[in-house]
Amino acid sequence: MPPNVVVDWLYVGVFAIVGTIMAALPLAVVWLLAPRADLPQKTLTYESGVIPFGQAWAQFNVRYYLFALIFVVFDVEVIYLYPWAVVFRRLSAFAFVEMLIFVLILLVGLAYAWRKGALEWV
Amino acid sequence: MSASDLWSIVPELWLAGLAIFLLLVDLLTARKSLVGVVAVMGLLLSIIPIGSLLTQGARTVIFGSYAVDGFAVFFKILTVIATALVVLAAIDWLPGRSQYEGEFYALLVFTALGLVLMAASTDIILLALSIEFVSLTSYVLAGYLKGDVKSNEAGVKYFLYGAAASAVMLFGFSILYGLTGSTNLYEIARRVANAPLPALYLSIALMLSGFGFKISMVPFHQWTPDVYEGAPTPVAAYLSVASKAAGFAALVRMLMVVVDPGRLNWILLIAVLSAVSMTLGNLLALPQRNIKRMLAYSSISHAGFLLIGVAAFRGDFGTPGLLIYLLGYMFTQLGAFFVAALIGQQLGTDDIPDYAGLSRRAPVSALLMAVFMLSLTGFPPTSVFIGKFYVLAGAIDNGLLWLAIVGVVNSVISLYYYAGVIRAMYVMPAASTVPLREPAALQVALGIAGLGTLLIGLYPQPIIDLARSAVLLLRI
Repeated sequence: MPPNVVVDWLYVGVFAIVGTIMAALPLAVVWLLAPRADLPQKTLTYESGVIPFGQAWAQFNVRYYLFALIFVVFDVEVIYLYPWAVVFRRLSAFAFVEMLIFVLILLVGLAYAWRKGALEWV
Repeated sequence: MSASDLWSIVPELWLAGLAIFLLLVDLLTARKSLVGVVAVMGLLLSIIPIGSLLTQGARTVIFGSYAVDGFAVFFKILTVIATALVVLAAIDWLPGRSQYEGEFYALLVFTALGLVLMAASTDIILLALSIEFVSLTSYVLAGYLKGDVKSNEAGVKYFLYGAAASAVMLFGFSILYGLTGSTNLYEIARRVANAPLPALYLSIALMLSGFGFKISMVPFHQWTPDVYEGAPTPVAAYLSVASKAAGFAALVRMLMVVVDPGRLNWILLIAVLSAVSMTLGNLLALPQRNIKRMLAYSSISHAGFLLIGVAAFRGDFGTPGLLIYLLGYMFTQLGAFFVAALIGQQLGTDDIPDYAGLSRRAPVSALLMAVFMLSLTGFPPTSVFIGKFYVLAGAIDNGLLWLAIVGVVNSVISLYYYAGVIRAMYVMPAASTVPLREPAALQVALGIAGLGTLLIGLYPQPIIDLARSAVLLLRI
């Protein structure tokens, strides 16, 4: 193995060790120094100051996940549209048509979600 | 990338467009069977651009990452036929079971696109992406019946197992890239000669987990019976045929292009895995009562038979035999699953003893099922017989006589459980004599499967010629 490779790996080793210490040290210091008071209230679920009631195994609506999924459509669109727009002047007509097709495919996804009622708040 | 490159991937573009079009048709119509009919017509039309590729020479397109050769064309044809048959069967099977009918056909066509990509990728990144593409749509299809606990179980099991297998396979790909510094299969093949052998062994072993998962090879087979049992029956049929075929295509391309067996003896490894798959699949199929589980274990054992064709790749029999076997097995296995779908739909049961008296209640389906069972055993004149004949001849030709003997012994063992189905249908007294309704589209799909099984068995010459030319073009 050439010497500069050894040095490179040494960096990696030092980095790994220092990184581990950096992560572990604050935890250890806190564990050693912090005052401790084991009150029963501390084991309660935190509910923004309100005293919790009932069980956590309640059913609640997961409507938001639909919106999150539809958001992905626009998210992906934007990720590719920005770099495309930046270099647009240097691109050929081929790239323009390509992006049109890409947007069209995403639009089909949106139309599908819309028609299937994913945008309704029921 | 040039315009002629684009011209060479017209079949893929067609399939992508078709799947998106199906989603739109689903939005516009309330008659969901129409979506299925459009899917079948679109798939059949895709034969035209696929066939036009046959006249061109073998080459790679899109910066060398995608093969346009006879081998890929063969798998394109196989995938399209299998998908069309499965869609036909689903048109009668699906209504009333899921409220998402149109999407089902679109997902099947998307899967077909992924399978086609998988069979033709010559770049490990494209290969990994297409395998993931197929996996994702397959997970959804396996768990398609939302209200059915077994289907949910199938989806989750398939997902967990598939995700792990893919991760291991990707690790193997990354080692291959690390050894050679290229993602292109042909470039890798040129550079791999200098790679250290242990790392190469590790890479091949890790990659085999991904391919082994797709083709349900022992020891990556455990998901098969549970997924086939729980998944919608047409989906189980599809997984056992199209997904397996594409897995074999990727495996063969990878092994034959990249790894010189003179340097790394994968032949013995594949031969042993083949023998183990055949035997274990067969022995586990013996006690099964559920037809779908039985077909699942039998599909593991057939994966073993197909692996003979991979191991015996030298000469005129092994690799062409693999292709002939895959095509013949496709018709037979699809047909067997379609009969299971028919019975499951009409009687609400998948247990083989409930097939009693089927020869009276549904004579045509029972006769076809008997043909499929005999074909799966390997009786002439059926399609799987031709395939078995070729791969076994290949094994002897390649000096793997012991493997051929294991194959023959396993064929005899398999007769027991295949004949059990025929016995139930023809010998056992029926609980009822009410004739079963045989829905039209499912009946057409069954008829085509039966016709394919018998035609390939009786007149195999065109298929043999096609397979031979497909293999010649494999290595560009």
